Amino acid sequence: MPFSQMTETTTTIDVCPAEELPAGAARIVEAGDRKIGVFNCDGEYLAIEDRCSHDDGPLAEGPFDAGSCTVECPRHGSLFDLRTGRPRTLPAYLPVQTFPVRVEDDTIKLEVS
Amino acid sequence: MATPEIAIATPDQLEGIKDSYEYGFHDSETDYAFKAKKGLNRRVVEEISEHKNEPQWMREFRLKALEHFEARPMPKWAGGHMDAIDFQNIHYFVRASEKQGRTWDEVPDDIKNTFDKLGIPEAERKYLAGVGAQYESEVVYHQIREDLEKQGVIFKDMDTGLREHEDLVREYFSTVIPANDNKLAALNSAVWSGGSFVYVPPGVHVEMPLQAYFRINTENMGQFERTLIIADEGSFVHYIEGCTAPTYTTDSLHSAVVEIIAKPGSRVRYTTIQNWSHNVYNLVTKRAVAYEGATMEWIDGNLGSKLTMKYPSIYLLGPEAHGEILSIAFAGRGQHQDAGGKAVHVAPHTTSTITSKSISKDGGRASYRGLLEVAPGAVKAKSKVVCDALLLDEHSRSDTYPTIRIGEDDVDVGHEATVSKIGEEQLFYLMSRGLSEEEASGMIVGGFIEPFTRELPMEYAVEMNRLIELQMEGSIG
Repeated sequence: MPFSQMTETTTTIDVCPAEELPAGAARIVEAGDRKIGVFNCDGEYLAIEDRCSHDDGPLAEGPFDAGSCTVECPRHGSLFDLRTGRPRTLPAYLPVQTFPVRVEDDTIKLEVS
Repeated sequence: MATPEIAIATPDQLEGIKDSYEYGFHDSETDYAFKAKKGLNRRVVEEISEHKNEPQWMREFRLKALEHFEARPMPKWAGGHMDAIDFQNIHYFVRASEKQGRTWDEVPDDIKNTFDKLGIPEAERKYLAGVGAQYESEVVYHQIREDLEKQGVIFKDMDTGLREHEDLVREYFSTVIPANDNKLAALNSAVWSGGSFVYVPPGVHVEMPLQAYFRINTENMGQFERTLIIADEGSFVHYIEGCTAPTYTTDSLHSAVVEIIAKPGSRVRYTTIQNWSHNVYNLVTKRAVAYEGATMEWIDGNLGSKLTMKYPSIYLLGPEAHGEILSIAFAGRGQHQDAGGKAVHVAPHTTSTITSKSISKDGGRASYRGLLEVAPGAVKAKSKVVCDALLLDEHSRSDTYPTIRIGEDDVDVGHEATVSKIGEEQLFYLMSRGLSEEEASGMIVGGFIEPFTRELPMEYAVEMNRLIELQMEGSIG
């Protein structure tokens, strides 16, 4: 295992019971000094950092489209792919960080590294 | 936290958005097939969409854009110059005739007369079948030459493009400039009408420039054209727009959105010569993306208008993409030309050049406002920014607002700026050769903007020089 991965610490965060985040819903959780948006794309749980790479403003509270698995930055309209964190439209051009999400014992868990 | 249901930005979300960023005749106004009431509201937007018989997704896009427009504050970074615009005192949609002219003979006589007065017929005759003429809010004449059609090139007005090539439009529309990009882009997204839709298939070189003439003809009528150009892999296209407007006493608004997608290995040149009447607010968003090995060129001439704010942008998204922005601005009495350009280097080995030239006269104000950004990872990026300002008298003003953000060490970036006035020796030399002072000044100015005019097709270069001469005489508008 590369040294960088060995030293990386991963924290698991309980987001909420799965029933509280139905398909098409989203919520924002705090992980240390960061905020992360967790989304239910019609049964697929996805998470990205709540920060638009264009001007560092909030991202995850923008309009969420579960059908295309995208969220739109509420400040300048960049559309981000929730699976890859990459912007599909300008003005943002850099990706944002994504995080693994899983459901364990009917609880949505987020892995933050 | 509950599921966010916010579709439109709240004041909190918008807080802190950069404040510091970034010929006098007209025809009868009675012959309009359709003219929307003044003002902007949900019903007006719905009427525009209904009148155009648009698909549901475009109607929803417009309505959402209207909400964005209403939610966003007026940009303050231009020193409050835009505060005088009364958005409720504007006609947002006017249709000049019921159907589009299919041939030149079918174009109404008064419209032909207008083009004659504009002195454009040379190009018109030359490229008759390839010309899209935007008269009022809609293109009235737009027929593509047969040889272009055979090549698979699509050159339509935007409304027709949406009707006939909906899938293609939907794939790219608003991907370069989202509706919520800025307040004026939101306004255009809500009420857009006309403009051009261009698609060039892979490997196709369009040898003749595609041309569209734009004109505002109704008092207080806004012009909100929307242009989308897609150059597929290895293709080439040169698009030219020329704008003039009649003079009126009340304020008029032009707010266009132009989106360009230059796919790998393609080259797109977009040439503009604008000569708005002196009461027009010209607030335009132009942006292009250039993928691997693609070249994007903005050639932008700004004359006339009360206030122009326009910064053509290029996002160099693929390795070895190249961007070129060449703009000139002429600010006369009571005019403010706030122009410039933006180059954003996202990929390695990308190159760009921004050349801005401005002339200020009779108290006019010209500003260069530009952005050069190199993203982390864009190694070996090269860029050169040159701003030259010519002040013709001591009452005029020139400002430069360059922003340079470099996120990579291994780059080659240069910025140079000059401010000069016409030298006594230059004038003396030319006048000793028999020229009047006015003629001598005109010649010096012509030489100053020569890097721009030499990039124009011949008939445009002639028109450009004539416009500069008229500006020098103070006889425009």
